Amino acid sequence: MDYADPKLADSLAATYVAGTLRGPARRRFESLLPSHPALQGAVQDWQGRLMPLTSALKPDAPSAAVWQRIEAALWPAAAVQPWWQKLSLWRSLSGAALAAVVGLAVLVSTPPPAQAPVVVVLQSLPGQGGQPGLAGGVVASFSGDGRALVARPLMPVSLETDRVLELWWAKAEGPPKSLGLIKADGTTVLSRGQLPGGLKGSGLDHMAVSIEPPGGSPTGKPTGPVVYYGKVQL
Amino acid sequence: MINKVDEQDWPQRSRELAHLLARAGMGDRACFALLYERTSGHLLAVVLRIQRNRALAEDLLQEVYISVWKASGSFDAARSQPLTWLTHIARNRAIDSLRRAQTQPQLESTTRDDDDERPDASEAQADSAPGPLELLGLASQKRELSACMERLTAPQRQSVALAFFDGLSHAEVAAQLREPLGTVKSWVRRALATLKGCLDRAAVKDEQNKQKAT
Repeated sequence: MDYADPKLADSLAATYVAGTLRGPARRRFESLLPSHPALQGAVQDWQGRLMPLTSALKPDAPSAAVWQRIEAALWPAAAVQPWWQKLSLWRSLSGAALAAVVGLAVLVSTPPPAQAPVVVVLQSLPGQGGQPGLAGGVVASFSGDGRALVARPLMPVSLETDRVLELWWAKAEGPPKSLGLIKADGTTVLSRGQLPGGLKGSGLDHMAVSIEPPGGSPTGKPTGPVVYYGKVQL
Repeated sequence: MINKVDEQDWPQRSRELAHLLARAGMGDRACFALLYERTSGHLLAVVLRIQRNRALAEDLLQEVYISVWKASGSFDAARSQPLTWLTHIARNRAIDSLRRAQTQPQLESTTRDDDDERPDASEAQADSAPGPLELLGLASQKRELSACMERLTAPQRQSVALAFFDGLSHAEVAAQLREPLGTVKSWVRRALATLKGCLDRAAVKDEQNKQKAT
């Protein structure tokens, strides 16, 4: 058959998309699709025509178990939770380990008190599924008024080529907010590194670094694993 | 209960979903979760028309979204609308599941003689869900296709609605309508050809309205 014949392509695509093409003929058609652009085009046209007719259907919410099974099938290692819950889970589960982290992850502040810069050391967190975390840590230094921020990893961090590091800050309660992307192998001066209300007034409680796709988190919240974390004591 | 359909709803929702799908294609799980939240109700409704067993339908829905996650990187927003693409994947999976079921031993007799109690098309569903003809009528009404749809004969309309919404094969439509297979095939073919004309004109009109609006 000449599948480049527009009439034939159109009529085959119509039965395929409408669903009446069945059995071996349907399988054969599907196997032809990748190598026949004319068929692909005809299928897309028919999908565009017929699929919107299904908007006459009343949506029917699936049970919650469906999403849980999808997650378990796609990401078995990570019992996927919102990033923030994961942090509090770690906090409660590995209290001792985290106490050590928090103890280390501190700030050095020098007098005079009003305008002292604050340095926060973010420590490496263990990886998912018991994997060791990234090496080293990240140092973030705020100017005393909270308007300038410089960050750098203690040692170069090796990442997959299409991943970047993003720095976050948060209050004791509430979602993290991005401070911007930081270099994996050097010092970054963050232009967005400004805390509302200055360092004292911001309510800054902790900071974190997550691994994100190029350009940073697309959602405004961390989407990748949190690799460094540091508690701030002002 | 029939869902209200806004004729501009489909492309509008698709625009929002294109962003989520693109992000999912880059590995963004949060966007994928949102995509699921926004579309799973529609896709389950689509699958349930074809696969009436709810547990099986939910299993299929799970497979659908796993495929969507894996294929999301190859979705081309320039060539297809997300909701169209998703709906096609869901329908395809549901239709394939019928094929699988047919290759398994049949527990139920499939012979349909004159005493068969299988309901006719207008009451094909025992529950309160609208029948396929009603759905087709509603869909066409919302997109101002009614006049055009009237060019179809009643059996043509019925055949194409049963095939499209409920995933019936030509043979099943023929059995349900108690008409020869060849007759049903030509009804469906002619109905689709007429629909093509109607829907393409409606699409042009939608496009013009959109341009006027902007």
